[in-house]
Amino acid sequence: MRAFEYSSPRTTEDAIRMLSAEGAVALAGGTDLLSLMKDGAAAPSRLVNLKAIPDLTGAHETDGGLHIGATTRLGPLGEHRVIRESFPAVAQAIAGVRSRQVLSMRTVGGDLLQRPRCWYFRAGFGLVPMHDGASMAKTGDNRYHAVFGNAGDAVFVNPSSLAPPLIALGASATVLGPDGERSVAVEDLYRTPASSDESEFTLGAAEIVTAVTIPMRSSSNATYEIRNRKGFDWPLAAASVAVSDGGARVVLGHAAPTPWMSAAAAGALAGGISEASAEAAADAAVADAAALSGNGYKIQLARVAVKRAALAAM
Amino acid sequence: MAIRTQTIGERVRRREDPRLVTGQALYTPDIPLPGALHLAVVRSPYPHAEIVSIATEEAAAAPGVAGVFTAADILPTLKRPFPVAKAPDGGAFTELHIPARWALADKKVLTVGDPVVAVVAETAEQAVDAAALVDVDYRDLPGAGDSRAARAEGAEPLYDNVEGNRAFVWELHPEGAPEAAQGEVELSLDFRIQRLIPSAMEARAVAARLDGDRVTMWTSTQSAHRVKSSVARILGIPEERLRTIAPEVGGGFGAKANLYAEEVLVPWLALKLDRPVRWFATRTEDFQTTTHGRNLFVTLDVAADPDGRVRHCDVDVLYDSGAYFSRPGPTTPSLTGAMIVGPYDVATAHAHAVGAFTNTAPNEPYRGSGRPEATYLIERALDVLAGRLGIDPAEIRRRNLIPPHRFPYRTATGLTYDSGEYEKALDKALEAGDYAGLRAEQARRRAEGGKPLGIGLACYVEICGFGPWEAGGVTVEPDGAVTVRSGTSPHGQGHETAWAQIAADQLGVSLDDVTVLHGDTDECPRGIGTFGSRSAPVGGAAIFNNAETVRERAKALAARLLEAATEDIRFEDGRFFVAGSPARAVGWSEIAAFAHSAEAPEGSAADLTADVDFKPPGETFPFGTHLCAVEIDPDTGAVEILRYISVDDCGKVINPLLAEGQVHGGLAQGIAQALYEDAVYDEGGNLLTPTFLEYAVPRADMLPKYELHRTVTPTPVNPLGVKGIGEAATIGSTPAVCNAVMDALRPFGVEHLDTPLTPEKVWRAMQT
Repeated sequence: MRAFEYSSPRTTEDAIRMLSAEGAVALAGGTDLLSLMKDGAAAPSRLVNLKAIPDLTGAHETDGGLHIGATTRLGPLGEHRVIRESFPAVAQAIAGVRSRQVLSMRTVGGDLLQRPRCWYFRAGFGLVPMHDGASMAKTGDNRYHAVFGNAGDAVFVNPSSLAPPLIALGASATVLGPDGERSVAVEDLYRTPASSDESEFTLGAAEIVTAVTIPMRSSSNATYEIRNRKGFDWPLAAASVAVSDGGARVVLGHAAPTPWMSAAAAGALAGGISEASAEAAADAAVADAAALSGNGYKIQLARVAVKRAALAAM
Repeated sequence: MAIRTQTIGERVRRREDPRLVTGQALYTPDIPLPGALHLAVVRSPYPHAEIVSIATEEAAAAPGVAGVFTAADILPTLKRPFPVAKAPDGGAFTELHIPARWALADKKVLTVGDPVVAVVAETAEQAVDAAALVDVDYRDLPGAGDSRAARAEGAEPLYDNVEGNRAFVWELHPEGAPEAAQGEVELSLDFRIQRLIPSAMEARAVAARLDGDRVTMWTSTQSAHRVKSSVARILGIPEERLRTIAPEVGGGFGAKANLYAEEVLVPWLALKLDRPVRWFATRTEDFQTTTHGRNLFVTLDVAADPDGRVRHCDVDVLYDSGAYFSRPGPTTPSLTGAMIVGPYDVATAHAHAVGAFTNTAPNEPYRGSGRPEATYLIERALDVLAGRLGIDPAEIRRRNLIPPHRFPYRTATGLTYDSGEYEKALDKALEAGDYAGLRAEQARRRAEGGKPLGIGLACYVEICGFGPWEAGGVTVEPDGAVTVRSGTSPHGQGHETAWAQIAADQLGVSLDDVTVLHGDTDECPRGIGTFGSRSAPVGGAAIFNNAETVRERAKALAARLLEAATEDIRFEDGRFFVAGSPARAVGWSEIAAFAHSAEAPEGSAADLTADVDFKPPGETFPFGTHLCAVEIDPDTGAVEILRYISVDDCGKVINPLLAEGQVHGGLAQGIAQALYEDAVYDEGGNLLTPTFLEYAVPRADMLPKYELHRTVTPTPVNPLGVKGIGEAATIGSTPAVCNAVMDALRPFGVEHLDTPLTPEKVWRAMQT
């Protein structure tokens, strides 16, 4: 067991200060971080617990939309009236988590910022595992790796359950750091790293997500996930669809190093959802997919996920 | 004479459950051992490597460390390697290598997870931390992750004296086999049956403590007695100095019937350090080192008549033995060969198996052991045959089943099936599942469109109730209470309930009057253990007979008390009386008090104990028919089980609730083999499925609602008429599910896919 410090600040200001130390990492639900530490894939010298900060938890309606504190647990959020009534895409993504234990502990911020499930990464080879100048994932077993955005060496997939529906719904994230607060679109939290030295997130040093806000815009929305089995594993493919007067959004999960927005699929749904437009969106979504050596099946699943998400939203 | 308190056949609730479901039960890691040290095992990260050097100084100096021990410290003190049974019955080994296996790796490691160094510290955390400081220098050798790689030309040998890693060659009828019966229709099918990890809920655990000059050890095992005698011999101490206890055990499935390194290391360390020592496995340690099951390449040739009657079966197996043999030796492939004709009247059969040593965990009996393989093979072959000949799968089975008047039936493989009404089970399954209705719905979907629907059948027969003997002593105590000393011990089966029912019925007492002792070699001095569905047909039969003996002997004591002749004594509802005078009766408390009194003849007290082992004259052969209906999501290939009908005949049933529990668990594991579970090593021998994240044990909501039915065909080989139900459902379910999926895929031109039938595999098959 590696020794580490543990601190539990009561305010975000204290949290940011404590996170400024070398090797400090924010701890929310711990459903990802603790297993990374147990596996030796993360070795923080200090954990800064965010769960004791009262301001960071709970969901309530504001003028800007539904404000969800970053340490709000997924289980209670899935029961929230506004989520159930207006944002089934979020409720369905939460239902997909399935493990009662995880639902009770995982937070909204932690879900958005969980690390990839890529087995090379989890085994300690880094986010962009290279061997003799070649991507280990591209030359090795990549059945669960990216089918979009995989031209470079990074081929892990973003594992977040909430990112696809939140992006489809146009949600923004509030980011707080040493230089103050800023608001970014949820999709802008993510980037594709060029090497294992880079992060897959756009957050700066000692920055944390404090909240996400979903605009109260009326839409037909849904999420559909496909798993190998019904256990608490991660989906092989997921899609969230939101169609409103203002247009459509289609976001695929577990498909690319970032949540993957498909403009082509969204275009197919812009005129409304029907059996035909769902089919067209599904085809459009995977038109530019590219299989690695072992993950061609995921393209079919991504296609099915888009179609079924669209039909579920209808 | 009718016994009013008859409980056999009743749905008696499990007596053990209150303590299990309220957290009162003590598993091995829960045993209080003040001052116990903790063992952490440094394991090989390599599938195959030479140990060049081991540096332990840093670990020895770490906080809390009480000792660091390598093979050089331990092996010279051990008297012998792990025991392995010489060879099973049936057929013959023309070649068999049993390499010596010791508690720690010495010169070479042969699997990832092989134990190399034992580190003992005051706390588990300190032991783990110190183990990380042990520096083992390895010279990596090429590894073999499966039997074909190990048998390939130029493969690195695991053992110097084993050519081509050929662990054994076994042949049924190696000489003098009758000429194969001919058939106009011939099939030759190739199969790969995947490797499975038994995945008991409780990982392995061991603890030990010195009690004076004796050692008491607790271990999560199916066979405390075998552990005791093996460990005593390995350590070189008299058996009387070792007490072995299997406390609550959270599942075994065959894997805990073997002996493991930690079962030697922990008592050795307790003796060496004169302190209690405990160890328990992490899930990954358990997956790496506990025996696995199945894992074979098979070619099955079948010759049949044009009407679908099978004439001859020839099965050729390449078996992956892993890196070592465990206790049973290579029994599993020989059981596959011996059971290859299933419940069918097949004129001739031949079986041949080659075993390969690979750089993987030992591959040993796992729930069903050889019979799931045999059943899967013949049931798949029958469906392929039916498809090619245009015969309905139910009809082809009906034409081949052994008819009731042929029992006892001598198979072409040399076994004697005890009793069976196989067609009755088939008919019951067809009726319960509305087979005709399912076929009509299938035809409708195929004509009008809809999700592909498939219907699968599997008729099975299996072999269990293995001897050579089992203990089940019965004592009426001085206060009239009853004690049963069971040689078998439970890990989920419910022995405390079932054994109490047997004794209570024989002695006319209530279940509350019966205490069942098990799993403690001091309390129950003799026993073999729980595996191969043998507990009820062998151990239960011993209890039945011994209770009867005590009852009959007690009649002499009753005669004295009642001043009558023994032959005039009648027994009813736990009361003894003179024929014709039931009003003046004596019960067990009077009998027992008298037996222990000065007035009783010498030896009377001893008469109230009977402890004769039961030696069955033959094995039992449970059978049944399973019917499964599935539909397939054409977009994803996902299989959903719509209906599952299980008709199982295990002879007489002691407790339907317990039997159904065994069927439920068995179905879950058999369905999991068909659809989900797959233990994967890479080509070099690295386990790619070391946790439950990668190894897909099903959740309850991945399994269908089971529809259970029963036929009852008693066996003549034991007085209870019971056959055993521990493995039957696992055996029947894998082929039923596979046949259903293949049936659904018939319009796509698919005849066979190997298990597990993952969505991707099914979807790809539908694209071609």
